[in-house]
Amino acid sequence: MTRSFGLALFSSTLALCAAISASAAQPGDPPPGIAKIETVVVIFAENRAFDNLYGHFPGADGIDKASEESLRQRDRDGSVLSELPPVWDGLTAKGVTPPVTQAMTEHLANQPFTVNDAKGFNVPLTVVTHDLWHRYYQNQMQINGGKNDMFVAWGDSGAMPMSNWDTSKGDMWAVAQKYVLADHFFMGGFGGSFFNHQWLICACAPYYANADKSPAKPSIAVTDDSGTALKIADNSPKSARDGIPKFVSDGNLTPDFYAVNTMQPPYQPSGNDPAAGGDPLLADPAKPTTLPPQSEPTIGDMLSLKHVTWAWYSGAWQYTLDHGNHTPMPNFQYHHQPFNYYANYAPGTEARREHLRDAGLSGVSFIQAIDDGVLPQVSFYKPQGNLNEHSGYADIQAGDRHIADVVAHLEKSPQWPHMLVVVTYDENGGIWDHVAPPKGDRWGPGTRIPAIIVSPFAKHGYVDHTPYDTTSILRLITERFELPVLHGIVVRDRAVAANGEPPLGDLTGGLDLN
Amino acid sequence: MDADRIVALVTAAGIELTDRRRNVKGDGWSLSFASGATVEVGDDGTVRVAGKGAKAVISLLDLSIPARGT
Repeated sequence: MTRSFGLALFSSTLALCAAISASAAQPGDPPPGIAKIETVVVIFAENRAFDNLYGHFPGADGIDKASEESLRQRDRDGSVLSELPPVWDGLTAKGVTPPVTQAMTEHLANQPFTVNDAKGFNVPLTVVTHDLWHRYYQNQMQINGGKNDMFVAWGDSGAMPMSNWDTSKGDMWAVAQKYVLADHFFMGGFGGSFFNHQWLICACAPYYANADKSPAKPSIAVTDDSGTALKIADNSPKSARDGIPKFVSDGNLTPDFYAVNTMQPPYQPSGNDPAAGGDPLLADPAKPTTLPPQSEPTIGDMLSLKHVTWAWYSGAWQYTLDHGNHTPMPNFQYHHQPFNYYANYAPGTEARREHLRDAGLSGVSFIQAIDDGVLPQVSFYKPQGNLNEHSGYADIQAGDRHIADVVAHLEKSPQWPHMLVVVTYDENGGIWDHVAPPKGDRWGPGTRIPAIIVSPFAKHGYVDHTPYDTTSILRLITERFELPVLHGIVVRDRAVAANGEPPLGDLTGGLDLN
Repeated sequence: MDADRIVALVTAAGIELTDRRRNVKGDGWSLSFASGATVEVGDDGTVRVAGKGAKAVISLLDLSIPARGT
């Protein structure tokens, strides 16, 4: 871990003194100077792999450094595909300009392609493109033990996983150039947004007790003997060129009842309406996709325990409660609100009033708090749907500009001199990346995602190669505020070590705290 | 329109499928999406959309919105 590297600089005499001093830094201790960070801000965008946005970033481990082997996709039988299958139903949806139909995506070479390449599809960053499967078991099948050669085979969108964008003119690219781009940051859990938001706050897999006797019983997945892949249906197309794979049961719950794909919050705002005649603040518990309230400790609980101020700022939270949801704006996403699954933050609790805050439409209330210098010690910011960069309903440019605007406000905030900002993505959105994730535990880490560290303490123009995952954010917060360590972090650290992988860092590798 | 086609069109627009099962009568599929929309699609091709995200799904499927009160 980066925090122990500084010790190597000491002379042997000093090292001896350090060894006998009760107050000396030890491996595993917070890095010296971490207390200079007084305000932590986490901005959580959506569904982009590292190579998808930063694959050509100077100095980073990008597509240019990928081996030939890692660039080629294999078919479901393990053979190398002679060409990519088309993007089923087209790269852009019906009615979207420019139209890129399925027929236009036939016969793509078996390699990554750039969506906004002027000599290719020439689709600008302002256009919404096809969404892709980004699910727990499929992600593991696509990673294929680190070879990353089954993204097309076990996806639902043909060639789409091999897409990337030239974002070098984007606002956040400039922010990454100014501060720190972490190029070995992996999503904490396999799969999708629901699961990775849980990993951001809990480092845990939500649980549905007695699911086999509940309305969710049919949502229990059927896996093969490995337990890490879905059981393939008899009528599944044998080749990726012939169509989308079919599985016996591609459910939301593992066979032992952990919720790994999208379930709805038990409290409003939820995708599931209240039960007829029931409490209007709750989601109907009889719906198969309503997750029962969760009780695992979260980072919020740990912060509250130590009297550290914190909040989850959600774009369009109050708007949605007051007016319902609307598309294409704000397109509030119910399953992107992880604390709304926990009994400790149920409607009516003081904790909910204090910590689950409305960021306003387009983040206006969050930006006001930034400008006023009244952010709590730890803030999480979730942009509303149309500003989160998720394939299928959001374009890249709108979210990129919005987040860069938020960063610009943070840089001018009265709290800026002691601030650390992490801008990252919840998961890869089903999109290919060439770097093998570290071997961890049952739940992750998954595919590599972008992460940008913004701070007056950041090394300027630096690419940080330290291995991180989403739980690294929790490590940083835990160390800085001297919190009890969440169980999932302990399990993850032990699993990574047991697999002979280097330890996952605490995000301080790109900082100069001296 | 069949269930596979509906799932393909809706999920391509970033609205994640959260549940798919045979309906109680056994004559069609019940689909649930992360937006809150539910789609009942009969084996005979009839489609009925309801729930919070219904409007967006109706638009994606090129279905007409039934007039209120009918």
